Amino acid sequence: MKRRLAVLTIVSYLTALSWGVVGHALSVGTASHPAMYFVVWDMFCGWAAWSQRMHIVGEGESGRYYELAPGPWGPFRPFGKLDRRNYDPNGIYAGRLALNCLRHTRHEPIVRIFVVEESWPKKFNLPEHLWAMRYEEPKDVQTYYRVRHVLTGEGALVETYSPWLEYQAGLALADNPRLRADARRSTPFYAISVARPVDPNSAGRRYSPGSVDLLGSPAARISGN
Amino acid sequence: MSATASQAKLRRRIERFFFAEEVPFGPALVRIALPLVLLGAMLPRALHVRELYSTDGASTPLWILYGYARLLPVPPAWLAVPLSGLLIFCLIASSLGWCTRFSLAAATALYTWFNLVDAISTMTKYSVIASHVLLLLTLSRCGDVWSLDAWLSRRRSQSPRAATRGLHVRSPVWPRRLLQLLIGCVYFGAAVTKMHTPSYFTGDQLRFWMISDINFGHPVGEYLSAHSALIVAGAYITIVWELLFLFLAWRGIGRFVMLGLGVAFHVMTNLLLGLYIFPLVSLSIYFAFLNEADVRALRIRWRKFQKRYVRRSQRPADVAGSLGDPSLPVAERPAYSQAAPPKALVPAWLTMSSSATFAVAATFVACGFTLFEHRLDPYGLRRAEGAHRLRELDPPLVQAMLAPAKPVRLEDKVFSFDVGTLTVGGSLATRRRQFRAGEEFIAQVMMNPPFEDMWLECNLHDAEDRVLNRIGQPVTRDMMRATFIYTLPHSLEPGEYSLVVATRGREITRRTITVRPSPASRAPLAN
Repeated sequence: MKRRLAVLTIVSYLTALSWGVVGHALSVGTASHPAMYFVVWDMFCGWAAWSQRMHIVGEGESGRYYELAPGPWGPFRPFGKLDRRNYDPNGIYAGRLALNCLRHTRHEPIVRIFVVEESWPKKFNLPEHLWAMRYEEPKDVQTYYRVRHVLTGEGALVETYSPWLEYQAGLALADNPRLRADARRSTPFYAISVARPVDPNSAGRRYSPGSVDLLGSPAARISGN
Repeated sequence: MSATASQAKLRRRIERFFFAEEVPFGPALVRIALPLVLLGAMLPRALHVRELYSTDGASTPLWILYGYARLLPVPPAWLAVPLSGLLIFCLIASSLGWCTRFSLAAATALYTWFNLVDAISTMTKYSVIASHVLLLLTLSRCGDVWSLDAWLSRRRSQSPRAATRGLHVRSPVWPRRLLQLLIGCVYFGAAVTKMHTPSYFTGDQLRFWMISDINFGHPVGEYLSAHSALIVAGAYITIVWELLFLFLAWRGIGRFVMLGLGVAFHVMTNLLLGLYIFPLVSLSIYFAFLNEADVRALRIRWRKFQKRYVRRSQRPADVAGSLGDPSLPVAERPAYSQAAPPKALVPAWLTMSSSATFAVAATFVACGFTLFEHRLDPYGLRRAEGAHRLRELDPPLVQAMLAPAKPVRLEDKVFSFDVGTLTVGGSLATRRRQFRAGEEFIAQVMMNPPFEDMWLECNLHDAEDRVLNRIGQPVTRDMMRATFIYTLPHSLEPGEYSLVVATRGREITRRTITVRPSPASRAPLAN
């Protein structure tokens, strides 16, 4: 009996590992369930030439703006010198971070929450002595901001925009008069709604956090702002 | 040989691979090392347990990323805080080997749960690997050796120390095999990831990771990011090693080479990328590659070393006799009896006592940590001046943040501009600033994507900034670099010149080069 259990364990475990490797190699079902995160080994799978930071800003009734992350009690730096919010590159959890800060602080009523992405080229991360070795020009850093999400003071999502890099890639692609003219001639059009809203509170059932987006034109998502 | 015979042989080999019996020294070492590494990751998080893992904070469950609203419960603070203390206690107990199986099972469950609840600052691939390893250790008999449990068991047996020392029970090797296969699969999967990333082979991906600032400091990585040849060579060595590890790391020279490269690789991830916990987690699993014979050989060497250098006056008892003859197959060595430990001599009440002490200690730690966290007042709600006030931001900063996106400067679309003579993997590998007239050199512009299709010029200017030469080429948005090959005319006067990169009539960057006389022009003229 013990031996059979051991064989069952070995077979199950190796099947799970193999499923992860094969699924990852063929790009099949890797995002189908959180369990896939435990068997897909895609460490350092992407890269960007730009550094990124996230800012979570609250707008008070008075028109003043406040920092909502890190909370005034201090940052948590999980993997280096950066605060936790910076490891959420799409700002998916920004609303949660903001509401937690608001719950535990004294403040005027907050009417809007902005999630802002800040970017700059990674070459400016080089320390001064290495910069001087590689570049003749002085180090002149310029950062670029882009609003990613706008939420109400209660955390309800009002507006959402594409990431700064995606937006820039879209601009680079659109820098082509012929392509722009073709795109204008074939504006997407839906006679029927293709998205089906699902109760997000039902445990275990899938829902799309971006289902509102799906009801609109995909062009809106491609073109960003 | 008939098909049936070969099938039977294969079956026997698989059976021997998974069910051969040995003393679980390797898993025991993993059990000792890994929880200590995880303590390094979890202790700082324990101080923020309310914020990271509870409904009274800003938990960031992993399942939301996968489109699930509620897959597992997020614990309330009154539960998360003591459970965090319990996790710390279980990790320490696992490392000590105290109530080993229960400690490991509890550590596996709690560690995985906390990770799932905090996707942005706890959950990473190293924590996933650690969850796997904790689970496999729970299934193993890693507590049978080098543990508090084994020590208590020996004490309870009331046998003379000499008689029980080294008397370990053997168990099937399959948990250790699964640990080995796990790390082999991790490397194989990582190699697949690299195959999916074409820029990995040009070194671009690694270069940009080496100048990322999201991990701990890594000055070596920043320095080496300019050395393309090393990056490209390292990239190829790494992927070959990752692919071969699963097949060669089992015995002989293959094991030595694969594990040696593995140690070097993980040390380099620390130096180049600023990772700490990931390499330590991976290296602690390497102990799974130690088998019983390795440990016996190491022990014999250690005893010989002690005999020669440490205890000249105290010769240990017959070393070979107590450890068995290493030339014999493991199964035939007498020192490690296959007999069960002397359980009959262990009074039941003593076993109960150990478990009871464990339960009391765990409760004490969980309660103590709860009190500590209460006094810590992580949100500052019980301060004399009351809860914190929000920090107001400077209006000009907010104005910049909320303004429409600015167009990207041209200089931000170029990563670097270098001049040299040799390319490796498409990247300039040697950098020079001095050339002789008549010499050929390469000027390479590395781009900073995303950017639109551009016409890029690389012009030669003299010391008075007059254009001597203009060449250009299209750089489409899928290209990472533009390479210009120059041949300096023999007639060029020695002196300082500039190579200027420009587009749409605007200079982006420039490099100064020095032209020295060509050997031909320095030759003495005949009368």
